[in-house]
Amino acid sequence: MRSKALRIAGPLIAAVIVAVLPFVVADRFLLKVFTYAGLNVLVVAGLALLFGYAGQVSLGHAAFVGLGAYTCAILTTTLHVAWPLAFLAAGCVAALGGLLLALPSLRLKGHYLAMATLGFGELMTLAFVETVPLTHGVDGFTGIPLPTIGAITLRAPAELYWLVWGIAGVALFLAGNMVSLRPGRTMRAMHGSELGAAACGVDLVGVKVRAFVVSAALAGLSGALYASVIGFISPSVFTLAASVSFLAMAVIGGSGSLAGPVAAAIVLTLVQYLDALVPGISRETAQVVQAYEADVYGLAIVLIVLFAPGGIGSLFRRRSREGERA
Amino acid sequence: MALSDLLQFTIAGLKSGAIYALLALGFTIVFAATGAINFAQGEFFMLGGMIGVWLTRLGLPLPVAVLGAVALTAAIGAIFEVLAIRPIADGDPLRIIMVTIGGSVLLRQIALHVFGPDEVPLAAFSPGASIMVAGAAIERQTVWIWAITALAVGALFVLYRKTMFGRAMRATALRRDAARLVGVDTGMMVTVSFALAAGLGALAGLAVAPLTQTAFDVGAGIGVKGFAAAILGGLGNPVAAVGGGLVLGLLESMTAGYINPLYKDAVALVVLLGVLFVRPQGLFGGSGREKV
Repeated sequence: MRSKALRIAGPLIAAVIVAVLPFVVADRFLLKVFTYAGLNVLVVAGLALLFGYAGQVSLGHAAFVGLGAYTCAILTTTLHVAWPLAFLAAGCVAALGGLLLALPSLRLKGHYLAMATLGFGELMTLAFVETVPLTHGVDGFTGIPLPTIGAITLRAPAELYWLVWGIAGVALFLAGNMVSLRPGRTMRAMHGSELGAAACGVDLVGVKVRAFVVSAALAGLSGALYASVIGFISPSVFTLAASVSFLAMAVIGGSGSLAGPVAAAIVLTLVQYLDALVPGISRETAQVVQAYEADVYGLAIVLIVLFAPGGIGSLFRRRSREGERA
Repeated sequence: MALSDLLQFTIAGLKSGAIYALLALGFTIVFAATGAINFAQGEFFMLGGMIGVWLTRLGLPLPVAVLGAVALTAAIGAIFEVLAIRPIADGDPLRIIMVTIGGSVLLRQIALHVFGPDEVPLAAFSPGASIMVAGAAIERQTVWIWAITALAVGALFVLYRKTMFGRAMRATALRRDAARLVGVDTGMMVTVSFALAAGLGALAGLAVAPLTQTAFDVGAGIGVKGFAAAILGGLGNPVAAVGGGLVLGLLESMTAGYINPLYKDAVALVVLLGVLFVRPQGLFGGSGREKV
C-alpha cells in the first residue's frame, strides 16, 4: 500500500493538479477560495509537525498568523519596506514569539504549552485591538500593497494563487524532508516514548521547541501572505475560533502524517465556501453549515481523539488491514 | 486619598482574586484526579452564569436559580466526564486535554445556540448601595463573592480532610492503582472531580455575573486566568490555588490602578510564563509531590 513509488508519485501528482488548477478554474472567486485553502495549508503543515509529530497542542496559532500579518502590513504600508523582506520578517517575528512562548512552557512535563498558547492568543487579540497607532485597532488595517518581487507586482488571482501555493509547496517539501530524516525520527521516537527517546540521547525540549518555532514561523508567513493577498486585516480574523479550526484540521488529518492534515485543511476550507463550490446548494443551507462550523470542529476533535487517535485516515488503514486478514 | 486608593485597589483585587481562586481550585481538583489540564473549566464558569440567567427568566426566584445552575453545571461536568473522559482507557493526558479542548468548543457553541449571542445580566444577590469602609466602596456583591468563596473552600476542606469520601479522592490523586487495590472506585472519583470542578466554576460565574454580565464566550479568557492562578500557587495544591488566585487578583488590580488599565489582562499571561520560567512549582509549592 505505502510503496516507495507511491510516496514519490503521490505528492508529485498532487503538485501537478494544484499547479494546473488556474487553467481549469476560470471563476475568479473560486480561485480566491483555493488561494485561502493554500494559506490554511501553510499553517496546518506547521501544526501537523507540532501536534502529529512532536505531540504538542497549540491554541494560539491564529495569533501567530496575526503577528505575521500585522508585521507585513506595518513594514510594507507604514515603513515602505520591500515586500520580500517584509514577508521574511513576518516569519521571523512569529518565530521569535514562538520561541519566547515555548522555552518556558516546554521545559516542564505536562501540557503547559497548550494553556500558554491560549493565553498568548487572548493577549495578541488584545494587542491587535488596543495598539491603535500600529494596528489601526478594530477598524482594521487597510491598503496593504500586493506582493511585489523586484519590479513585478502580482495582482491576477491566478498569480496570487501560484505564489501562495508555491510557498506552501516549498514548506511542505521541507516539512516532508524534516519528518523523513533525523528530526522526524527523533520526534516519532519521542511520541512513542519520551523516556526511551531521552535514553537514546534525544534532546526532548530542543525537539519540541524547534517544532513549535517552525510551526509559528509558517503561521507567520501565512499571515503575511494573507495580508498582502487580501489587502485588509482586522483583529476579528485572528481569534481563538480560528486557532481551534487550525487545530481541528491537524487533528482530523491525523497525527504522524502531513498528507492527512493538508487534505483536511483543503476540504475544511472549501466547506466554508460551499455555496460557491456546489451549484445546487442554496445560500441558506450554506449559512446553516457555517453557523455550525465550530460545533463540527469541536465534535470532530472529541470523536477523533476518542475513537481514531490516528485521524480519519487511520480508520481506513485499519479497515483495509482487517480486510486483508479476512 | 492615596491610602483609600490603595484600599480600593486591594478590594478590587481580592474580589477578582476570589473568583480566580474558585477556578484554580477546579483546575487543581481535575489535575489531581487525572494528571491533565481541563480546558473546559472556563466553560463551566460561563455555563453557571448563563444557566442562572436562564432559570431566573423562567421565573424562578434568584436563590433557587443560583443553586439550580450550580447543580445543573455540576451534572453537565459529570456527564461530560462519563461521555468523553472515561472512554480514554489509557488515561493519556494529551488525549484528555484534546477532549477537553473539543468539549469546551462544543459547550460554548451549545450555549450560543441555546442562549443566544448577547451579553446578559444577572440580578444582584442583595441589591443596595455599596458599603463604605475608610473611604473605599465595597459593592454588596463583592461581599457575596468573598462569602461564597470562603464557604466553598471551607466545605472542600471538610470534604477532603474529614470524610471517608475525601480520603478516597486523595488516595486516587496520589496513586490510582493503589487506591483501586484498596477498593476505591477510582472511575467514580474522576467523575466526582469533574462535577466538583464544574460546580465551583459555575459558582464563580454566578457570583461575578451581577457585576460584569455574562455571555457565551467568556469561558476561554477566564479559564486562562484561573489556570494562571493555579500555576502561580502551585498546581495540585488546593490551599496554594486559593493563594495564587488572591495574589493574581491583587497583581491585576494594582497593575490596572497604578500602571495602566490596558495591561490588566496581560498580567495573567505574564504571570503564567514568568512562573513557568522561574519557579514552576509555584509560590507556595514545596516539593510539588503531594496532590490534594
